[in-house]
Amino acid sequence: MNKIIEKEEIVGARIAKLDAPEKVTGRTRYINDMVLPRMLYAKIFRTDRVHAKILKIDVSKAEALPGVHAVITAADTPDGKIGVIKDNPPLKGDKVRCIRDELAAIAADTEEICDAALRLVEVEYEDLEPVFTCEDALKPGAPVIDEERPDNIAMGQNFSHGDISEGEKASDHIVEGAYNVHYVTHCNMGTSCCIADISASGKVTLYSQSQYPYIMKMDLAPALDIHPGDLRIVQPPVGGAFGSKLDVYPNEPICILLAKKTRRPVKLTYSREEEFIVSPTRQPVEFKIRAGMTSDGIFTFREVDSFLNNGGYTSWGATTPYVTMRTCTSHYVVPHVSYSARAVYTNNPFAGSFRGYGNVQATWCVEIHVDKMAEVANLDPIEIRLRNANEPNSITPQGSDLGCIDLVGCINIAAEKSGFLEKWKTNRATWDDGERYKRGIGIATSLHNAGGAKIHKSDGCGTILTMDDYARVTVMTGASDIGQGSDTVIAQIVAQELGVPIRDITIINNDTALGPWDVGVHASRTTYIAGNSAKRAAIDARGQLLSAAEKQSNVTADLLDLRGGYVVQADNGEVVIEIAKLLRQIHFAGEDSTLVMATDYYEPPTEPEDKDHMGDMSAAYSHAAHVAEIVVDTLTGEIRIEKIWSVQDVGKIINLNGLEGQIEGGIAMGIGFGLHENMQIEEGIVKNPSFRDYHLVTAPEMPPIDMTFIETDDHEGPEGAKGIAELPTIVIAPAIGNAFFNATGVWIDHPPLTPEKVARAIWERDNPNLAAE
Amino acid sequence: MTLPQNQSPAEFEYYVNATSIEEACRALGDGVGTILAGGSDLWVQKDEGVKIFGPRLINISRVDELAEISIGNDHVRLGARVTMTDILNHGELGNIAPGLLEAANRFASPQIRNVATVGGNFANASPAADSVIPLICLDAEIELARLDGNAVAIRSIPSADFFTGPGKTVRTDDELITAISFKPRDGKSLARFFKSGPRPALEISIVSLGIAADILDGKLSNVRIALGAVAPIPFRARKTEALIEGQKIDDKLIHAALECLVSEISPIGDVRGSKWYRQHLARTYLQEALTDVA
Repeated sequence: MNKIIEKEEIVGARIAKLDAPEKVTGRTRYINDMVLPRMLYAKIFRTDRVHAKILKIDVSKAEALPGVHAVITAADTPDGKIGVIKDNPPLKGDKVRCIRDELAAIAADTEEICDAALRLVEVEYEDLEPVFTCEDALKPGAPVIDEERPDNIAMGQNFSHGDISEGEKASDHIVEGAYNVHYVTHCNMGTSCCIADISASGKVTLYSQSQYPYIMKMDLAPALDIHPGDLRIVQPPVGGAFGSKLDVYPNEPICILLAKKTRRPVKLTYSREEEFIVSPTRQPVEFKIRAGMTSDGIFTFREVDSFLNNGGYTSWGATTPYVTMRTCTSHYVVPHVSYSARAVYTNNPFAGSFRGYGNVQATWCVEIHVDKMAEVANLDPIEIRLRNANEPNSITPQGSDLGCIDLVGCINIAAEKSGFLEKWKTNRATWDDGERYKRGIGIATSLHNAGGAKIHKSDGCGTILTMDDYARVTVMTGASDIGQGSDTVIAQIVAQELGVPIRDITIINNDTALGPWDVGVHASRTTYIAGNSAKRAAIDARGQLLSAAEKQSNVTADLLDLRGGYVVQADNGEVVIEIAKLLRQIHFAGEDSTLVMATDYYEPPTEPEDKDHMGDMSAAYSHAAHVAEIVVDTLTGEIRIEKIWSVQDVGKIINLNGLEGQIEGGIAMGIGFGLHENMQIEEGIVKNPSFRDYHLVTAPEMPPIDMTFIETDDHEGPEGAKGIAELPTIVIAPAIGNAFFNATGVWIDHPPLTPEKVARAIWERDNPNLAAE
Repeated sequence: MTLPQNQSPAEFEYYVNATSIEEACRALGDGVGTILAGGSDLWVQKDEGVKIFGPRLINISRVDELAEISIGNDHVRLGARVTMTDILNHGELGNIAPGLLEAANRFASPQIRNVATVGGNFANASPAADSVIPLICLDAEIELARLDGNAVAIRSIPSADFFTGPGKTVRTDDELITAISFKPRDGKSLARFFKSGPRPALEISIVSLGIAADILDGKLSNVRIALGAVAPIPFRARKTEALIEGQKIDDKLIHAALECLVSEISPIGDVRGSKWYRQHLARTYLQEALTDVA
């Protein structure tokens, strides 16, 4: 009898990331390590003003410095602008709108020569009156930042559903609040870097950290005055991106323009300090919220008005209301809702996209406010959430079908596993006991898209799959891997379909000249969209193999399976033929010779929002609930997190290792946002542009995390999976904020809960007549 | 804070790899050398353009006699090149100077503790220097060596008199810090060190506070209180020391001491903390130290 092969489940297993051996042995060649022959180095001359008219830029001395190959200013560059509403010229020639605006750029033999040349650039300015807050920028007669938009409003969104006045009538209690979410930034371990290389025929190759290489070509071309088809984006391994590379920023066109001028490859790398000052931040938001409920704590209406400090230019930060809006209108069942957002130009640094998008901000606002409402309704935080929880397959005010969600399950499991209610009651009883250290427990939940987000006309991803004569599989996918582990997930899905070991799969995902189109890495979409496309291509290739095997074996294809590199009989696992051998027979078959290849383009069944913000833009939605247990030192204000319980609807587990890594990493980022990280921006200037004074969470402070995964088995997702990457960053901070109230009886509305802010809040409560200076 | 565009590359004309105190002092003789030990602060300051190297860089990392810790009956001597890790790993120092051990334990991160030296911490003269605070509380003396003719001459400066401003000390340009020495306290004594920050590593003190005293019958004597990051130099809270000296520690005295301390210090507010928070932390740390004694 032939060899018997049992079925192996690769999907759902613990698989080490495919790039892990390279990374842990230090062999990964990141973009920052790359050197091309004859390569020059570039640096950008940046302003030290926040709002000024540029009278003159003199680069003659810099040009004359030996070793300098080119100096460019706005005078040398095409007129095209970059950014979401095309308001950002890569090099500024007429005015400066925020600190570190790009005025000139230098290419030289070394970075040291660039530095020396930068000191020789001379600029004359006429300072203009600056404006730093949304409130001031909206006042009549306020300084105008962008002459094309004299009202200082970059973007705005309004949405309403139902009738707020009806909601007010039905309310026994109305609770108001204001929550201001601060500036934080991505802190990628690899600073921003790009290398431009232009062929003799004028084709541009850009080595880039981009998260959206295909659309980037379209966004870059106008600033370069070239055809987007002549741009090729190659993505070497990157040291993190987290949303920071979802737009074109001035460094990329500048690098290409310098390469064009010098006819040499040019590399432009940011210092860490530049990274803090120049790269986009998370969008800061000022929320005002009014929300009503019945005496039973059933929500009646919710009204949210928000202002976004847009800074000097418009990147994706101004579009975060598209996500913020969903949480403000659709997280929990609220019959009457209204929402408005205004992104207002100021002379501050500007914001981009950042893991969780606007939902980190929105969830802070909504979840802290829900706990405040629970206090008013005399309900506990679990009960008020359960009474208002969204149900599976319900339709949100914006027309999204929430599908197979399990918010109730998330809340119940988090509450039970953490012993929430008993601790919550005990802690409240200690508010006035005079002890220095207080214990608190808090919960928060969040709703996020988990099946892509159709913000472009297509939200698709393509795959090209080939098998060679040795049954090695090459999968060319449009989906970039910026560290999130999608290459491993795609390999697992393909390995499962084709019955080959995961090590026999090579993923090509880093070159727009090879891979088919993809929207980009955002919206927790890669596993869902690229995974589905890869799965469909693999099913196609599987069909080709099985029908060839059917001819060989006289066993019909539906009774065959692919396992461990072999075609086997599905019922007993008996080997029919080795897949590699079968492939060679298909390949070398005389006139009938062919190769096993498959292509696919997966477009999720979703629709972009219409102008009234109606539309089901994601193929799946998901919830998470986090419980945080903390200890507060009421004197120093330091908060120690004792433990976190994380419950998340993941659809279906594909890679347990990758999933746990995303939850842990997301929580570390969310704790940073909630407790420590704070870009201190005063009058447009970043005061703490270093890791010395901008505190990331480090390993010793990470608490134990108890993770539970709910598998709702999404009907559309690959293997039933949903996107999972953003939720952990979104949910944890308000859980900590609510735990702080449970510990002390004091609300802190504006994150982060830094030691000083905590100490001051408690001091001011205990010493009402001795307010802290 | 400046961008790298304002930096200069490292520039020095001579490099001296000294192997003895005398050789190091000779290289320093004309007062234009820069001394390199751990380099954990020096190199960062160079990169930021805050510190400019002299034409001669003098590496003292191979001067073995500077790396010794000697413990006598009434005298402890730490060579200038002793690292924070050396202090942490030394079996006896923890009993003799628990405040110093605690400061070394909270000092930067393990990687930095492996190279950062106690002499460098004094020479660098940061207002927030951690290891300086417990050593001031121990009335430590700083030994300075210079070449006098052909012989090495040593002078000792009390640690409390050593600092003259941020980054400035009484050390002259031709002098090398060779050791920090102190007399251990006899009998029952108090030695504590407090430092702000929720992170166990990589925190620059918003405020640090050290206290040392002899304890007898619930009273403290020979009280020394020193604070970091509340003044341009490490600060001795002499008024608060005097108020506590010889008094019985009770709630009333603690209250008076906290009031006195807050009035005695006048910290600045900056990105790390406001004036109020610095005063509040100082009060909190002293309260904890005294309450634990009472």
